[in-house]
Amino acid sequence: METILLKNIQNPNSADIAEYKKAGGYASIRKALGMEPQQVIDEVKKAGLRGRGGAGFPVAMKWTFASADPKFPKYLLCNADEGEPGTFKDRPILEKNPHLLIEGMIISGHALKAEYGYIYLRGEYPAAKHILNAAIQQAYDTNLLGENILGKGITFHLAVHQGAGAYICGEETALIESLEGDKGQPRIKPPFPVNVGVFSKPTVVNNVETLSNLPYIIEVGGETYAKIGTPDCPGPKIFCISGHVEKPGIYELPMGTKLRDIIYTHCGGIKGGKKLKAVIPGGISTPVLPPDKIDCPMDFVNMPKHGSMLGSGAVIVMDESVCLVKVCHRALKFFEHESCGKCTPCREGTGWLRAILGRIENGEGMEGDIDTMLAVSANMLGKTFCPLGDGAASVVQNFIKHFRPEFEEHIRAKKCVVNG
Amino acid sequence: MITITINDREIKLEKPVSVLEAARSAGIKIPTLCYHEQLERYGGCRLCLVEVEKMPRLQTACTLMVADGMVVRTETEQIADVRRGILEFLLINHPLDCPYCDKAGECDLQDLVEKYGPGKGRFKEKKRKVPESLQDPVIVRNMDRCIMCTRCVRMCEGLQGASAIAVINRGGHSHIEPFSSGRFDCEYCGNCVSVCPVGAIMSRLHRHSYRPWQVKEQYETVCPYCGVGCTVVTQVRDDVIKRVIPKLGSTVNNGMLCSRGRFGYEFVGSKDRLSVPLIRKNGALAEATWEEAITLVAKKLGNIKSTYGSDAVAGMASPRCTNEDNYVLQKFLRVAVGTNNVDTTARTGFAGAQSFIENIFGQGATANIISGLANSDTVMVIGGDPTTVNPILGLQIRACARRGGQVMTVGEFEGLRIFSPTKLLPRQFTETFLLEGIVTALREKKGLSGANAPLEGKIKSINVTAADVAAKSGVSEKQLAAYVDLLAAATTFSIVIGKETVQSIGGSYKLLLLAAITYLANGRVYLLSEKANEQGALDMGCAPDMLPGYRPVAYPEFTKKYGAVWHAELSEKPGLNLFEMIEAAEKGTLRAMYVMGENPVCNIPNSGRVEKAFKNLDFLIVQDIFLTETAKLADVVLPALGWGEKDGTFTNMERRIQRVKKSVQREGMEDWKIVAEIAKNMGYRMDYTKAEEVFHEIAKVSPLYRDLSYEDIEKGENIYPYKGEPLRDVKEDIQIDTSAVSAAAGKLYLKVERPLFHSGTMSTHAASLMNIYPHAVARIGAGRAKMLSLTEGDVVTVRSKAGALSLFIAIEKAGDDLSVTISNNFESKGAFRLADYTLDQVTKAPCIDAVEISIEKVTA
Ligand SMILES: Cc1cc2nc3c(=O)[nH]c(=O)nc-3n(C[C@H](O)[C@H](O)[C@H](O)COP(=O)(O)O)c2cc1C
Ligand code: SF4
Ligand code: SF4
Ligand code: SF4
Ligand code: SF4
Ligand code: FES
Repeated sequence: METILLKNIQNPNSADIAEYKKAGGYASIRKALGMEPQQVIDEVKKAGLRGRGGAGFPVAMKWTFASADPKFPKYLLCNADEGEPGTFKDRPILEKNPHLLIEGMIISGHALKAEYGYIYLRGEYPAAKHILNAAIQQAYDTNLLGENILGKGITFHLAVHQGAGAYICGEETALIESLEGDKGQPRIKPPFPVNVGVFSKPTVVNNVETLSNLPYIIEVGGETYAKIGTPDCPGPKIFCISGHVEKPGIYELPMGTKLRDIIYTHCGGIKGGKKLKAVIPGGISTPVLPPDKIDCPMDFVNMPKHGSMLGSGAVIVMDESVCLVKVCHRALKFFEHESCGKCTPCREGTGWLRAILGRIENGEGMEGDIDTMLAVSANMLGKTFCPLGDGAASVVQNFIKHFRPEFEEHIRAKKCVVNG
Repeated sequence: MITITINDREIKLEKPVSVLEAARSAGIKIPTLCYHEQLERYGGCRLCLVEVEKMPRLQTACTLMVADGMVVRTETEQIADVRRGILEFLLINHPLDCPYCDKAGECDLQDLVEKYGPGKGRFKEKKRKVPESLQDPVIVRNMDRCIMCTRCVRMCEGLQGASAIAVINRGGHSHIEPFSSGRFDCEYCGNCVSVCPVGAIMSRLHRHSYRPWQVKEQYETVCPYCGVGCTVVTQVRDDVIKRVIPKLGSTVNNGMLCSRGRFGYEFVGSKDRLSVPLIRKNGALAEATWEEAITLVAKKLGNIKSTYGSDAVAGMASPRCTNEDNYVLQKFLRVAVGTNNVDTTARTGFAGAQSFIENIFGQGATANIISGLANSDTVMVIGGDPTTVNPILGLQIRACARRGGQVMTVGEFEGLRIFSPTKLLPRQFTETFLLEGIVTALREKKGLSGANAPLEGKIKSINVTAADVAAKSGVSEKQLAAYVDLLAAATTFSIVIGKETVQSIGGSYKLLLLAAITYLANGRVYLLSEKANEQGALDMGCAPDMLPGYRPVAYPEFTKKYGAVWHAELSEKPGLNLFEMIEAAEKGTLRAMYVMGENPVCNIPNSGRVEKAFKNLDFLIVQDIFLTETAKLADVVLPALGWGEKDGTFTNMERRIQRVKKSVQREGMEDWKIVAEIAKNMGYRMDYTKAEEVFHEIAKVSPLYRDLSYEDIEKGENIYPYKGEPLRDVKEDIQIDTSAVSAAAGKLYLKVERPLFHSGTMSTHAASLMNIYPHAVARIGAGRAKMLSLTEGDVVTVRSKAGALSLFIAIEKAGDDLSVTISNNFESKGAFRLADYTLDQVTKAPCIDAVEISIEKVTA
């Protein structure tokens, strides 16, 4: 398939505006700025674009809410926090194709009548910061950003704000708190950011990949775009595959590509011909799948029907050599560390689960530990303030659901039964 | 109208509220922990989760707003499970030390676990441990009991505006800590203590000394300290006040207190209290019986009256005493002694400033509701930091800033600093020029309406150019213009005036200029008031020229009328004011003084001079609760019952009359009672059996308090003009004193500190406040300190023409290089020892802003 989002990234100078333009970049912008904002939103609606940050929320719907709010100025925030473990799909855009994102943001800004944009960048992406800043400067220098863009009377300012390394700041309201200079913790919703967002003004938060679809949608039109992928979930999707496959990496494929095909066709199968043991299909927060459950189309609508979620599209492949107690423990360490501490079940539950898993891994498991973990995660799931806590609970629940015997053997043997 | 259903009950609501509030209004209980009615919504504890039809997830009742047709369930099996689960989570790291914890019995967590919690925990891991912290003087922290509801943080930041503490770290490592770590080093208001639902942040004052269920009695009364008049609740066990707490919903302070109000009550049971009368025998004070003391006073006063005339006797009433006490004292002087020589320390600022403003705008012009400040769109502050002088009023200014209002100052006020007020900082002694500049520019912008001719006459005569103002004051034309633009844009304007302005040279002229600004900006005036009953003492006629209710003694129609009620002939000759009394004592024309609840040797500027004058008296009676510096000079010392031990009323700076209530039983007599006994001994009958009877008489005599009863004021909602019409007696002629002074290069000047942790000298008998602020210091800017090679803690002698003090040095990083700041709260170490003064010719306030001082290191 012809790549849309990762177009031209093999070119070592792909981040330069001249190269981007040579490859056809910034062609959509004139077209978009010639359209009424509502027309842009209509195209996005026809395209059926869903957010790529993990939740798959329809973009046109979010934009319509923000655009209907009478308050000004409005803000467009690009979520480039990319903190979900296993995820590195936004990074190639940020580092290799920054102008695609900038072009997407200018078009989106126009659609929303937003005059200010921020890219909230993951703290651990220092290279991307320089690349983005350089690209933004080039865009300012060529009147693609700033006042009266290309003489069309439209204003859009764009700046990069770097996070300080908290996973929770990828959650949109925590991101807003952090951008305002406060401690990154999620806010009460409603009001939603589309009405009361950054600096209490209407705000749209979209993922890097989401916004990067805009130039193409404008170029070919929503209807043509919607022919890619699945009917409920059209468009291209960047998958990032890590773990025990022959060819891990970044793949731009149509939405709905089967997980099995990703692993076996595109990534060349399990490394060294070993046996597949488990797959986490969409980043650490999404439910793990056993080998017999990987015939699922990878999109936002189909994955839940197959017992997991698309999440960020970060596929983590584990072969038979992996100890799943250890993986689960490692995941909970992550959640404990990243829990913001605002709500009781997540703040206390993640630490509790981690402690039990740590004991089991250390050969100090006790009878009843599994039931306790199930009870604790049940007390978390659906009761937390934001999805981070749910994620933590469901990781434990799904590891136990699919691999309970391995946990039981660990407890009984008082040591790791996979690697001795 | 919104209709929702909770547990199959239909609830109708006028306006959108949260599901929690809707449930509570219908008497349906939903357990909560992080919710607090005073604070912003948070939704963190998750205890209030409920089921809502058509919503896939459980919802927190405290954050979810009702919507028409909503169907809610709060008592399902699922919800019971959720509550058990959340409480189990909260307990896993909790030390479960209830038997030892002071909160037990009033702990939300304990109560909730008992009602909804799990019978048994399943946690087998290591608990988080945090040692108890006693780093702070009034607060004890047991942070392993903390449930991270963040109520304390939301209180400290959102309402108190101190932003002293925050959630540090995240996840399971989250904990509440001051930004500085270590000590809170904050405003010690204790409002975080009020809202902590568990025993994590508590008062140290009653640590391990009682259990909540042992509190048998509690009384709703008024704070004894400043003119705000906050409602406090005293909780008593075995005739000891164990704790003072605020009351949610009280009108003046709605659940908030400052450090003095909350932690300053320990003077009540202090060991230093006077308990028996003392009579000077052979030069020394010796214990005596009440009978001896009373007959002696009556005899002596009688003798002096008959030998030298009634006007050889004077009395000093008290802004700390009740209206009833003050009323009886002035009546005693007017009827039993026959003189109008009565005054209070309100004369040192509040009294003169108030009558000045009232002469321009009419009586009651300064009687403005404190909470109104928060709703003003623009508040201007000058002459004192409201957050230390009248802390709860200060909070309203902070609230105004937080709500997006403009807070503007002339001068730098630490308590408002983080709210970034728009400020002007004129050079020393150039405030007048600056204010003239503001008046000129504001008049040009807004024009004159013609409503107040005398004031407009004055305003028209003020004409300065911005360039001139800039040259003199150092405030640039641009800054001035921007400031005036804000004033001109104000639609609801308030001005807050502190004592520093009143007590400065040219004070009355500055007041005129401020009145002009108020008039042009169509605003209202608030006068900071340092003591609890300054207003009341004035209302009661504790002034040499005014009878109760501000009826001039010089008008025979009034003296006749009052005389008829009091069965006495009253003098029409205005008496001596505070400062004239001192002069008369020096000259020897004043022979005897009756000082009630006041410490003039400390509380009147140039206190050395006061001391000398008092020593010159033939007979000095001091009635007090402590053996003050003044009492030590007395011939007779009469021990009185103090705040907390007697009934009565205070009138706060809003002119709200409020009930002060007896909380503990103590042997002795109220001030009014002692005075009445003496009157009786002098042949004038005063047969009151309780304070309420005195109040009845006040209500009969004073047109201001006409027809009021304790019942009427019980709710604290009695505000000016009560049951009457406001008296609009605007004077045609506005007098001003335009004295001025200019700064001499290199000189150091005295500045009076009005600290948050003390009020008068009374607070120095409150052990906990002393722990926060233990002794007098001389505060000096870092620059000046360097010049003088002084370091923190050095002992220095500070000298002025009037006297000298030996003090510790405290270095203020942000302090200026022109002044040394000393408080006037510590006896024999007060700033007033150094403060010689001139009097403002109009307000009669002492001007103490130009006291030159020198400072010298004392080498050991
Ligand atoms: C704990 C948590 C972490 C998240 N991290 C990210 C992230 O790193 N990047 C991202 O784009 N969205 C992240 N999200 C999703 C955002 O909240 C939000 O849904 C997204 O930015 C919306 O953009 P989209 O509609 O374009 O997907 C996260 C959500 C949660 C709950
Ligand atoms: S679930 Fe609660 S504690 Fe966890 S990250 Fe979200 S808000 Fe914070
Ligand atoms: S005592 Fe007052 S200022 Fe200090 S931390 Fe508590 S709320 Fe904040
Ligand atoms: S100290 Fe008290 S009020 Fe503050 S977070 Fe902990 S439990 Fe809540
Ligand atoms: S000192 Fe003043 S502000 Fe503080 S509690 Fe007492 S009355 Fe209120
Ligand atoms: S009371 Fe509602 S979440 Fe804490």
